[in-house]
Amino acid sequence: MRVLIVDDEKLARDRLRELLNEIGGHVVVGEGMNGNEAVEKAAELNPDVVLMDIRMPGMDGLEAAMHLMGMENPPMVIFTTAYDQHALHAFEVNAVDYLLKPIRKDRLAAALDKAKKLTLQQLQEINQAQETPQARTHISVHLRGNIRLVPVQDILYFMADSKYVTVRTANEEHLIEDSLVNLEKEFGEKVFLRIHRNALVATDYIKGIEKSTTGNWQVALSGLEKKLDVSRRHAAAVRRWARR
Amino acid sequence: MAFDTSRFSTLAMQANTRLMAGARLLRDRLLPRVADTTGNLLRLFAPAPATSGDDTHFLPNFCRGRAIGAIVLIAELLAVVITLITRRISSNLFQDLVLVSLFVQWIALSGAATLCIARHFLDKLPNSRALGFAYLLLLAVVLAVSEAAVWVLWLAGTISSPRPEWYVYFHIQNITVAAIINALALRYFLARHQLRQRTLSEARAKIEVLRSRIRPHFLFNTMNIIASLIRSAPDKAETAVVDMADLFRTMLGDSENLVPVSNEIAIAKKYLDIEALRLDSRLRVDWSVGKFPRKAVIPVLVLQPLLENAIQHGIEPIPAGGVISVRLSEENDMIHILVTNPLPRLRSKSAVTPLPSEHTLDNLRLRLESHYGDAARFMVTQEPERFSVAVEIPIRGGTP
Repeated sequence: MRVLIVDDEKLARDRLRELLNEIGGHVVVGEGMNGNEAVEKAAELNPDVVLMDIRMPGMDGLEAAMHLMGMENPPMVIFTTAYDQHALHAFEVNAVDYLLKPIRKDRLAAALDKAKKLTLQQLQEINQAQETPQARTHISVHLRGNIRLVPVQDILYFMADSKYVTVRTANEEHLIEDSLVNLEKEFGEKVFLRIHRNALVATDYIKGIEKSTTGNWQVALSGLEKKLDVSRRHAAAVRRWARR
Repeated sequence: MAFDTSRFSTLAMQANTRLMAGARLLRDRLLPRVADTTGNLLRLFAPAPATSGDDTHFLPNFCRGRAIGAIVLIAELLAVVITLITRRISSNLFQDLVLVSLFVQWIALSGAATLCIARHFLDKLPNSRALGFAYLLLLAVVLAVSEAAVWVLWLAGTISSPRPEWYVYFHIQNITVAAIINALALRYFLARHQLRQRTLSEARAKIEVLRSRIRPHFLFNTMNIIASLIRSAPDKAETAVVDMADLFRTMLGDSENLVPVSNEIAIAKKYLDIEALRLDSRLRVDWSVGKFPRKAVIPVLVLQPLLENAIQHGIEPIPAGGVISVRLSEENDMIHILVTNPLPRLRSKSAVTPLPSEHTLDNLRLRLESHYGDAARFMVTQEPERFSVAVEIPIRGGTP
């Protein structure tokens, strides 16, 4: 099988590589040091299996796996971890395979033999079971089989139309398949504020709330020319937010 | 007549409602208060309350054979005492003992049965209230059994009236003895419970301290790294194992030990060497160590937890790592330690990912406080991109 190894510790990656050599029958196609690299390299190298540490700086293993599951042909994922009480319990409950460090050769071989594809739902349930469920640090955008990771902190707003949600950053616009309701629930109103049935705006970028000539409330965002309409239904909540 | 009946029934209903209300008031307001007061009075001569918030109850389970056996035994001893020190009831001492035993056992077993039945109710109450209720219940049992005893004697024809001349004295005597003995017994149960709680929480605290010192994540990751090194660089693996042994020996040792500053620096450096295996070039440390007089001593493991905290919150979460700066100096007979680490850029100022609870730092602060009292200083400074901890401790080690 084609294997991608992801761990922030070089020696931990070396160990996996050596164990895989000894087991035989597998090719290490690449290595990554964090979740971002896991997603980028997986899209580029198309591995069959990703061996991935859970705790990594930047994007962690759990979130990276979620982004991977959005791929057209997602790889199988086997997690590795030194010690994460809460995560491990959730892994057991959701029948997701994991390897405990220090990693044993026979356990690794067995895990590769029965490796299976995860579902987004399994991963979400694991995330929910954590002590503090984490919101994603990135939104993954799929472009012709490729994945683009958009940092959440760069996003100005989400705008929904009939089928897709548009993600807007200072310079780019992307379409994602997600719902505003889910996004709102995931990030909470401290990060993205609902101003309209079809719009969530990043609170960090709100420059001001003003009344237009027609008497409607509008939100001005830094780094954006156009202003976004506040619906009548959300006007009170938006102004309450502004007063805080 | 019809009018009268209806008026009567209305009156009866009103009276009934009032009675019910009174009963409710008694049940909901007055009784708990009496119980509280009684419980608190009993607590007055109990030792200082241990840390509460535990699930176990102070009353033993009186539904179980062992507790009942103990009660029978104690009641019997009490009966012997009473028989020996009271006036003769009959001509025969043995006959006296049988009579007294019968009565005392009757009270004791009824009391145990009452507490057994009331157990579920008492378990739900806070300790002092349960204590008061149990006390009142036991006194009520004594009153009831005493009264029943008089009736039994009357029905058996031993006495001529249900109100013999010694009737009042009999009740007062029984209630007084019961009041004293029950207070002693409950006070004993409470004290035993508190002692058990304290032992338990002390044991838990010890485990907590040990776990905060030896972070499982560090332990297992390092073992994984050593497993890797054994193949690629056996000499490095050897050094790592020996360093780990030194570090763990120190961690498992007595935290009250005072060591020369140079020892503490040495153990901190061993710890950093181990972490450097994992973190590679991401971990950079900038040391600046001043001159220390030879007599300068410091409690063991003061510097290492500061570095561990810096790595955990300042280096591990940043993909590129960073520099930890360590400053140690001596000034005016005080040892100054300053450890500074970078902080990861928060995803968004509102997307709060709170720093994990600062167990390591809290433990250290408490240790310094208990060792030096006011003489030591512990200051934490958090800036947007930097976090530093400054510790100042007297050079001579204070009074351990």
